[in-house]
Amino acid sequence: MDNTINFGIDLGTTNSAIAKFVKGDVIVFTNPQDYGRSTLPSVVGFRKDKMFIGTQAKAFLEKDPKSVMGVFKRKMGTGESFKIKAINESKTPIELSALVLKELKTFVNTGETLESVVITVPASFDTIQSNATKEAGLQAGFKQVILLQEPIAASLAYANMKKEKEMQDGKWLVYDLGGGTFDVALIEIKNGEMKVLEHEGDNFLGGADFDRMIIEKVIIPKINAQYSFSSLEDDMKSALGKYNKKYYVLLHRAEETKILLSAKSSAEIIVDGFEDEDGNEVDMEITITRSEFNELIKPEIDNTIEMIKKIITKKSLMPTDIQFTLMVGGSTYIPYVRQRVEEVLQIPANCEIDPTTAVAIGAAHYAATKQIEIPKTGEVKKVTAISIKPAYQKTSKEREELFAARITGNVEGLFYRITRQDGGFDSGLKKLSARISEDLPLVENAYNFFQLIVYDSQNTIVETDMETIGINSGFGISGQPLPDDICLEVDDYDTPGTTRLQQIFQKNTILPTKRSLTFPLNKTIVKGSSDEVIRVNVLEGSHLALPEANKSIGCIVITGKNLKRDVSKGSDIEIAIAISESRDLTIAAYLNMADQEFKETFNPKVRNTKIDLLKLEVSDLSEKLDEEIEQAKGKEDYVTAGILSKLKLEMETVADETDNLTGDDVTDKKYQLEDKKRKIAQEIDNATKNKRLQIAKEHYYETKTECEKFLNENGNDYERKVFNDIVASETTFMTTNSPIKIQEKSDEFHGIINKIRWRIPEFLKDVFNWLKNEQTKMNDQTQARSQMDAGRFAIESQNWDRLREINYSLIDLLPRDVREQSKTKIGFGL
Amino acid sequence: MQKNKIISVKAPQLYLDLLNQIFEIEKKTSQIEETNSILRNINKMKEIFGNIFSSDAEGEAGLIYYNPIDEPYNETRTDLEVSIAGSSAENLFITEVIKPIIRYRKGGINAIAQKGVVIVETKDI
Repeated sequence: MDNTINFGIDLGTTNSAIAKFVKGDVIVFTNPQDYGRSTLPSVVGFRKDKMFIGTQAKAFLEKDPKSVMGVFKRKMGTGESFKIKAINESKTPIELSALVLKELKTFVNTGETLESVVITVPASFDTIQSNATKEAGLQAGFKQVILLQEPIAASLAYANMKKEKEMQDGKWLVYDLGGGTFDVALIEIKNGEMKVLEHEGDNFLGGADFDRMIIEKVIIPKINAQYSFSSLEDDMKSALGKYNKKYYVLLHRAEETKILLSAKSSAEIIVDGFEDEDGNEVDMEITITRSEFNELIKPEIDNTIEMIKKIITKKSLMPTDIQFTLMVGGSTYIPYVRQRVEEVLQIPANCEIDPTTAVAIGAAHYAATKQIEIPKTGEVKKVTAISIKPAYQKTSKEREELFAARITGNVEGLFYRITRQDGGFDSGLKKLSARISEDLPLVENAYNFFQLIVYDSQNTIVETDMETIGINSGFGISGQPLPDDICLEVDDYDTPGTTRLQQIFQKNTILPTKRSLTFPLNKTIVKGSSDEVIRVNVLEGSHLALPEANKSIGCIVITGKNLKRDVSKGSDIEIAIAISESRDLTIAAYLNMADQEFKETFNPKVRNTKIDLLKLEVSDLSEKLDEEIEQAKGKEDYVTAGILSKLKLEMETVADETDNLTGDDVTDKKYQLEDKKRKIAQEIDNATKNKRLQIAKEHYYETKTECEKFLNENGNDYERKVFNDIVASETTFMTTNSPIKIQEKSDEFHGIINKIRWRIPEFLKDVFNWLKNEQTKMNDQTQARSQMDAGRFAIESQNWDRLREINYSLIDLLPRDVREQSKTKIGFGL
Repeated sequence: MQKNKIISVKAPQLYLDLLNQIFEIEKKTSQIEETNSILRNINKMKEIFGNIFSSDAEGEAGLIYYNPIDEPYNETRTDLEVSIAGSSAENLFITEVIKPIIRYRKGGINAIAQKGVVIVETKDI
């Protein structure tokens, strides 16, 4: 076990952070309540029954100053204390700092108990202030607290990043401009010892001031120039002002603009959403250039430079005596700050370390060199045995759900906290009592998981028997599952003229459910005509089966007569399919080009069998049956042929009866026929499955060998990986015995082959030569000729990338393949 | 040992930027009357993002935004970055949404990919 401290804390005025030294490297822990940030705002908020620390508290800092405390670091070591209205108590700066330190402990996700730690203090802190900080650490439950000056910590972070264990003797500046405070320190290293020679600072200068200046000095004057307001600035900045809300919107945008200006030379701020006093809608886009922004902050930056000059004069130094200025703090991301400081002082600015976490990182590096020295008391801390009996609804349709629990064991001095696993809810730290209750807000239509954690007075986790709280919102577990796949019939482009099934919902999907898909149409439908139709046919049954074998549970047929205008091939159809809890199926088909929606709800209790569709299906099935019989006979598979011939007889009866149905038949006949048809189809499916499977498997292995050959000759690593992935899952999809699944994998191999082919010069040349022969058929002869010339040149100069492009554009010039225009049944497909 | 388990995801910033723009467009179209069914295209885009990480093997997964306008606010909500306008900090409601909450969803898993940025104000009930 490590015997060094390893943990370092930057206890800042505005923001704090915690880092740990692990095997030569430092990790900065992220804020579990504020994903993506590794800092914790040093703000503590109180309510009657709880406290909350960090980002949430910061939001209330300005508007609820009587119960929410910030910037207490400035008061460290003074006798002052803060009266807190919500709890009617006073808290000292030490107590408040201890709360921030305790909160930082919860960042540590490694499960360790923290007893020793390095905490940083400003160079300006005197002995009393430093001791106060130490005391805050002890109150937070640390047994050993070592203090380190912030500029030294930043310098250590730099030295370790440079991997220079021993820094050269010399002097440098640490320039720390954060969100709300500025500090500068002169550091010297002499005989391996680093110390702060001199320091200066301004407790009321930082990035937040720059945001305010953008609004006051740029935005408000520009609004005033264009619109009429009598006292816009006051109305924005006063809490009771009419435009106070807008002020905060602009503050947010100003901050974004400031950040953008670090990367770009100009940025826009949009000001909109309110009216001036004459009733004119304010809507303007204000451009701020980087130089405008620089002018704005120049006086402030020059102020900081004056402080540095003061230090240099005081120590009777020349700028050349100083090696560099180390930039720390978020505001040093601003390029002008770096430039200006460098330009005026003629000392190079050093921006090599992460300015927001440098101090914590340096503290951790220092901690790694310090031994843990805790007097061993021999007493093993007793863990309180706490048992929690929770009570709550496991499913809920409410926005909030009440959670209650009864606690057994000694709850004295303990706290609890409930957080939602997605990071969207935090109850804050509350006193634990024998009975607790809490309203838990739920995210709709999702499983909500909450964690109840009990802490002792030092924010160390107390083990309990509490498990994760899981509440399902919206769809209850009681929702029934689908008994079978639900599929959509689509044209099968692999075998033109036939259709296949696209799975929409998988078997066992919990209802209600919905999904929408978009397909390009594969035919043009002329307004008013009835020759061409689009069918949106939804079926129930395995998606691996033939469409005829499944039961249609809803179908919308769109003909030219329904259309407001023509829709062309290639335009989109959006199909939305929804099934309610009570199994009502709603199909909505939206034709983009016509901006028309066709929507129908099908109640499976009322079967919706369309006679013309049934007739079509029966005749298709008869044809198919004939083919299958021929093939079976050809292969001398007389058993299959026998079964199929018997089915053929049944089929003929069905076909005759279907033909006799009138379009408006109201009897049950059509349903009976549909059932019979489906049964026959299933039997055909069974009888011929072996054959289809055989073909699919043979095809698969052939394609695989071909693909391997291409890969060996011209494949790249990525393509090899895709290939290997398919091969690795071979046993899985082979055992499904589904011809469609196996076909899919062959298609994937084909995809790889095609990709490789289009890189091979020989292939590209072949394609080009073939296109040359087809030139007369091309749509635009002028363009075709110029592309041909370009192609010949590309071959001469062996520019294969260019040749590929040319081939593509030449193919585009070809008229649509006649075969492609062959009859399609559905109107869209895969 | 119990640990503080918060699920977090890092979604590509480009996706978040695009979703923020779609949200803006939706907000603006809701204020005008239009006959071109722009809302349909907006919903389509939202749906594309809702499935942007979907795959055959893993099922549906993607990013969904959520507009918390008019909802009550207190300090327990950690899915928002808040500015409090007005003079009081009690009985707060969300009155303006600058950026929506963006959630990552995959099956039952649900995590915040972007906190909402909102303005809250006191409302008299």
